[in-house]
Amino acid sequence: MPTSARIVGVGHTSLAPRLNRSAWALQAEAARAAVADAGLRPQDVDGLITEPGYSQGVIEGITPHFLRLGAMLGLNPRYTSSEVLGGASCVAMVQRAAMAVAAGLCNVCVCVFGDAPSMARGTWSYGRGDDSAFGLFGAAGLHALAARRHMAVYGTRPEHLGEVAVAFRHHAGHTSHAQQRAPLTLGEYLESPYLVEPLRVLDCCLISDGAGAVVVTSAERARDLSLGGIRIAGFGQAHNLTGLAGADYLTTLPARESGPIAFGMAGVTTDDVDIAQLYDCFTIVVLMQLEDYGFCAKGAAGAFVAGGHLRLGGRLPTNTAGGLLSEGFGGGMFHVIEAVRQLRGECGARQVEEAEVALVSGHGLGMNTHATVILCRD
Amino acid sequence: MADTPRPAPVPDAVTAPFWEGCAQRELRIQECRACRFRWLPGSVVCPRCWSDAVTWVASAGDGTVVTFAVYHRSYHPAFQPLVPYVVAVVELAEGPRLVSNVVGVGPERVRVGMPVRVEFQSAGDTALPVFRPVGEGD
Repeated sequence: MPTSARIVGVGHTSLAPRLNRSAWALQAEAARAAVADAGLRPQDVDGLITEPGYSQGVIEGITPHFLRLGAMLGLNPRYTSSEVLGGASCVAMVQRAAMAVAAGLCNVCVCVFGDAPSMARGTWSYGRGDDSAFGLFGAAGLHALAARRHMAVYGTRPEHLGEVAVAFRHHAGHTSHAQQRAPLTLGEYLESPYLVEPLRVLDCCLISDGAGAVVVTSAERARDLSLGGIRIAGFGQAHNLTGLAGADYLTTLPARESGPIAFGMAGVTTDDVDIAQLYDCFTIVVLMQLEDYGFCAKGAAGAFVAGGHLRLGGRLPTNTAGGLLSEGFGGGMFHVIEAVRQLRGECGARQVEEAEVALVSGHGLGMNTHATVILCRD
Repeated sequence: MADTPRPAPVPDAVTAPFWEGCAQRELRIQECRACRFRWLPGSVVCPRCWSDAVTWVASAGDGTVVTFAVYHRSYHPAFQPLVPYVVAVVELAEGPRLVSNVVGVGPERVRVGMPVRVEFQSAGDTALPVFRPVGEGD
């Protein structure tokens, strides 16, 4: 069931360690910018899908996030929801919007992510139930376990993880709103201190205040708009809820299942993908996705990235705005936004020539959730 | 400043038998009497066949290190004196996997695939099952 829904507007705030504004204000600014980018007005919006930001808490008392944000935006939409898939939420929100539009539940659906960790009392370095008795805290620890296993089984080296960080930093140098733009060398990467070994500080995403939004509408409505939009050609999800209890958890991501669903719906293969925007909370997750999506064989991602293929001009330019590692923590929504901009041809010095097919991924809640979307310029 | 205690396990109706076992220096795993599948952490039904015929049995306590991470900073004050410390995933000979610590050797000597055996560290009302490399003294 290929959908005809399209992304017709994108918008975002700046990304910085501290913006001194509430997450609500950032989310509202992003929504306003995306609707304006689409050439629409607030009165046209009849769908709202939100992700509250991981440091904000999903629910305040009995008030889900969409209820308070919707009230502040003055919306009484025909469709609304909040997504709670962690880092997979933003891609899943685009999917949910495409399905809602295709089903006729709404026609102009705004998807908003925003967070202001500098203003939050919570922490990202949470424990995981009784595992915290053993000192397992934070997402870094879980991903370090995966990185160590990948190194032991496949011979992946620190330099391979480092190339991911270096390549994305290079891309961020061409991104005016990126949080970290200073050039990074592999030597500097290797000198950065361990956080949770084998992951170094530079293997970990940035922490940012900021918000991003996109507007999804039907192909019919998109024809009336000046930008015409980018087609949401295919999507899929898969989730590993058994976690550490299962043998695959630390070596294989559910991308292995969600990828073929999305490729099949879009009628494309990995060979057709011109650019990728892969969720990069930690460098190791990029390597695992390259394998599990089938861009290279299982265990071969180290060699793949060492060939420079993630870079502009490479075989698969990836995270062309810098990603979570260097552009800033946009929750995954900035990955969607960058894909749309690349397909529109708006990216200036970092523009990938003739980019027609983009893969965008989301990965979250440790390594439990995964979502994929294929976007096409046509 | 007074020492901050380590976060203690918080047993609930599902996990209480596991932690009661640890208090008695017994590492328990769950087993399905219908299909013989064995697993951790505790569940209310067999995660493979959904049978209610779930029971707790004792593990022999032998396992191997599937993977490990070395914390070079603490995210909780109780772990600050322990840095660098090792968090590992251990696969028991009976099949189930659990998160634990590798003790008795420095982080630089821990290896993926290393054989380990359970021992217990007192922790409040219960004890934590941790693992020591086989043949590494005591």
